[in-house]
Amino acid sequence: MESEFVFELGPLAVSLSILTTWGIMLSAAVLSWLATRHLDMMPGPLQTVVEGVVSALEEAISAVEPVYGRQIMPFIATLWLFLIVANLLSLIPGLHSPTRDLSVTSALAVLVFFSVHWFGIKIQGLKKYLHHYLAPSPILLPFHIISELTRTLALAIRLFGNMMSLEMAAMLILLVAGFLAPVPILMLHIIEALVQAYIFGMLALIYLAGAIQSQQFNRQEQL
Amino acid sequence: MEFNFTTFALEIANFLILIWILQRLFYKPVLAVIARRKQHIDQTLADAQKLRQEAEDLRQHYENRQNEWEKEKQAAFGVLRREIEAERKTQMDQLQADLEQERQKAKVILSRQQHDIQRQAEEKALQNGARFASLVLRQSAGPELEARLCAMLLEHFNELPEECKRCLKMLDAEKSVSILITSAYPLPDELRQKLEQKLGALIDRPDVFHYAQDAELIAGLRIDIGAWVLHANLQHELAGFAEIDHGSD
Repeated sequence: MESEFVFELGPLAVSLSILTTWGIMLSAAVLSWLATRHLDMMPGPLQTVVEGVVSALEEAISAVEPVYGRQIMPFIATLWLFLIVANLLSLIPGLHSPTRDLSVTSALAVLVFFSVHWFGIKIQGLKKYLHHYLAPSPILLPFHIISELTRTLALAIRLFGNMMSLEMAAMLILLVAGFLAPVPILMLHIIEALVQAYIFGMLALIYLAGAIQSQQFNRQEQL
Repeated sequence: MEFNFTTFALEIANFLILIWILQRLFYKPVLAVIARRKQHIDQTLADAQKLRQEAEDLRQHYENRQNEWEKEKQAAFGVLRREIEAERKTQMDQLQADLEQERQKAKVILSRQQHDIQRQAEEKALQNGARFASLVLRQSAGPELEARLCAMLLEHFNELPEECKRCLKMLDAEKSVSILITSAYPLPDELRQKLEQKLGALIDRPDVFHYAQDAELIAGLRIDIGAWVLHANLQHELAGFAEIDHGSD
């Protein structure tokens, strides 16, 4: 599926996925501002929902990474929220999910890749972080590197493939069977969108927690 | 499936900006209010725990005080009971003493009443006896009895104690003494002379004798010498008989 370019901004060709992402960002900013402008100690219904969402995200992250959960929470929670919205966006007629674009999913996967190293180095330091690639044996270094690359690639391809295939299947059924026929597929789309957002975010969380906990494991070994 | 580097790069930038936006506008305020609420709840819980601890301390304190009060109360009760017992014993002893005193008093009063009754009865009996004797003597008395009483009087003059004789001599020596001799029956002259001679010897002073008659004397004489009165008659003897009991008291 080719990127659909909407307009050019100087040397940059802005695609529909980017435009949709901007829309999501704008909506997120506006909704966040509206939801958090009157926070009170005695929460109303909207504040209760907002706090419930944030608490659920924090608890899910803390369950995997209890020590540094608060540090990685903005990244992982944003991944979940963005992917849920982006995946479900294609249910609105006329809009397309940005995650059906390989460039978008690759960008998210690369961000995960770099964030793993970023948090690992930030928490433990460069030397000690890089040392875990040689553990338990330096012979495993190539396999560690291959693992890092392949899992990043898998993240990008998995999300892209699932979302693109769902949209394409719904489109084909709509073309072949007519109006209302793809409704079951769209319901499956909802589940799949949520599942894919959860899988992507959870894998990113596990990768981050793995990097952080490997440092903790090394530290405990040294102690 | 086409990879576009511009989209890739812009998406990375967009996502980083989105993280910043959500961190600033969503996560941070919401987590802050949750933290504030949690802190408030923790503070409330701590205050409640503190209040509970204070209440527990107060409860313990008051229980201790209550126990102390109970002990003090028991001790006070013991003291009070002993005081009441002692006071009761004192009161009982006092009551027993009062009762004994009242009993003795009643006994004395009863004894006195009995004695009075007995005395009254005796007096009554003596009076009756005297009245009866008086009636009998009034019917049986006569000049002979009176003469016999006069003879007894004259003999009695010889046996007067010295003190009486001295008293009779100490009467006003300058004046003459008026002597009234009262009899139940007319005195014979011989008896009058004996009386005047005997009385003149006792008084040893000029004297004037007068004679009178009084049937109430039954028999015998009454001699008035100034302030002195000598009785030798049955009336006086019966009156003395009736007053024997008074004299014995």
